[in-house]
Amino acid sequence: MGATRKPTRCSIAPPDLLGRLAVEGTPEQREAATCALATSAAMRSQRAVMGQLGRRLNIRTGSLAGATLETGERLSVYDNQTQGRQFLPGVLVRGWEAPAVVDTSVNQAYDGSNATYEFYRDQFGRSSLDGVGMELVSTVHYGVGFDNAFWDGSQMVYGDGSGRIFKIGALTSAIDVIAHELTHGVTEFTAGLVYSKQSGALNESFSDVFGSLVKQHSLNQTAAEASWLIGEGILVPELGAALRSMIHPGTAYSGDRQPGNMAEYVNLPDNNDPRNDNGGVHINSGIPNRAFALAAIALGGHAWEKAGRIWYEVLTTRLRPTTQFDAAAHATIDVAGMIFGEAEQVAVHNAWKEVGVLS
Amino acid sequence: MKLTIIRAGGIAGIVARTELDQQALPKSAAKDFAGEVSRARLSDQPPPPPDVPRPDTQLYELNLEWTGREVTARYTDDSLPEDVRLLVAWVDSRPERVESIEL
Repeated sequence: MGATRKPTRCSIAPPDLLGRLAVEGTPEQREAATCALATSAAMRSQRAVMGQLGRRLNIRTGSLAGATLETGERLSVYDNQTQGRQFLPGVLVRGWEAPAVVDTSVNQAYDGSNATYEFYRDQFGRSSLDGVGMELVSTVHYGVGFDNAFWDGSQMVYGDGSGRIFKIGALTSAIDVIAHELTHGVTEFTAGLVYSKQSGALNESFSDVFGSLVKQHSLNQTAAEASWLIGEGILVPELGAALRSMIHPGTAYSGDRQPGNMAEYVNLPDNNDPRNDNGGVHINSGIPNRAFALAAIALGGHAWEKAGRIWYEVLTTRLRPTTQFDAAAHATIDVAGMIFGEAEQVAVHNAWKEVGVLS
Repeated sequence: MKLTIIRAGGIAGIVARTELDQQALPKSAAKDFAGEVSRARLSDQPPPPPDVPRPDTQLYELNLEWTGREVTARYTDDSLPEDVRLLVAWVDSRPERVESIEL
């Protein structure tokens, strides 16, 4: 039998003291201070401290016991004002249910986060990323010409793009990119897929899957109608049309190395060399991506109704942090039969056979 | 002196290379470049701690070559020191830089 966990006590104390205790205190002090930071009224300063705490300790503050930022607000958007990591989340520019502002990036981050929130709620009954109503915090205008958007373990962060890789302002314009990043949060709170080699490629793939589904849902597209492109139109034209193609991996931009079959799996080391992409997580995700697209097209209709439901169930209940492609494939086949029936099982099995993961 | 910056990872997974050769710079800019490099203390960087990789984090590698010597430092966006960030921004501001995508 495991040790009984003592209930965490929350206390009222100045945020700076709580912040110091959360980093430097005893384990009990850290837990209590973290809880207090997450639940007192000064949410703005807490968010900054929580984010800094997570970065300093290299932990995901969202996964700390009792530390979920349940504010009662669905989402909010902040402006980093190009100041970088130490200024996260930045200045609040649009709170929940506040009217649109002049800044397009702010409104795009707001609308994309809201669409993702509603998609998970309406299609799968999920309340936010953590399942219990976590506020979706976004920061736009991060850094100077920063060519990335990412989930930092507690919030979304969007750069403006440099105009050399991403078009300026494009990173908030693609709803599938927003949903991709937010889905990293869902994965963190559920399967916890380790971001390395095959489990990392699955982590990336689930983000592409639900990123694409949120986009298809927003356009009311069937699986047959969907482009299956991720980040369409956000790269500078010289590079290509999109970041990834789920149905035709390796064709999205010049230099796209994604395989669509296990026979072409790119076996890279996870050795801290940036070129190796944590063991090819953005490269080999092409294989499970294609399996999902093939399954969704075979199952017909809207991809979120059958294929999406199967993949969601697998992500949230069947996977472990180190799950590999073949185990994930078997899980989807199992769940397809459990939720739907034999015909759906066969369709999903055929998709994994087509990409060479199963024989 | 030549600095090569590799930026990779991120949502795209694209490997972007930026190079700046001091010999390509005007005299005053070459002096500024040396100052920025010195402040960044690339040769003094300890090996980065083993990070728990976070999805879509931007990864950096800075390789400095000078007078037959070479140093390579690696960071994540989390761990990038402010003086190194300023060096990267300075290089990005120079028209003499050469950019390419690694295939």
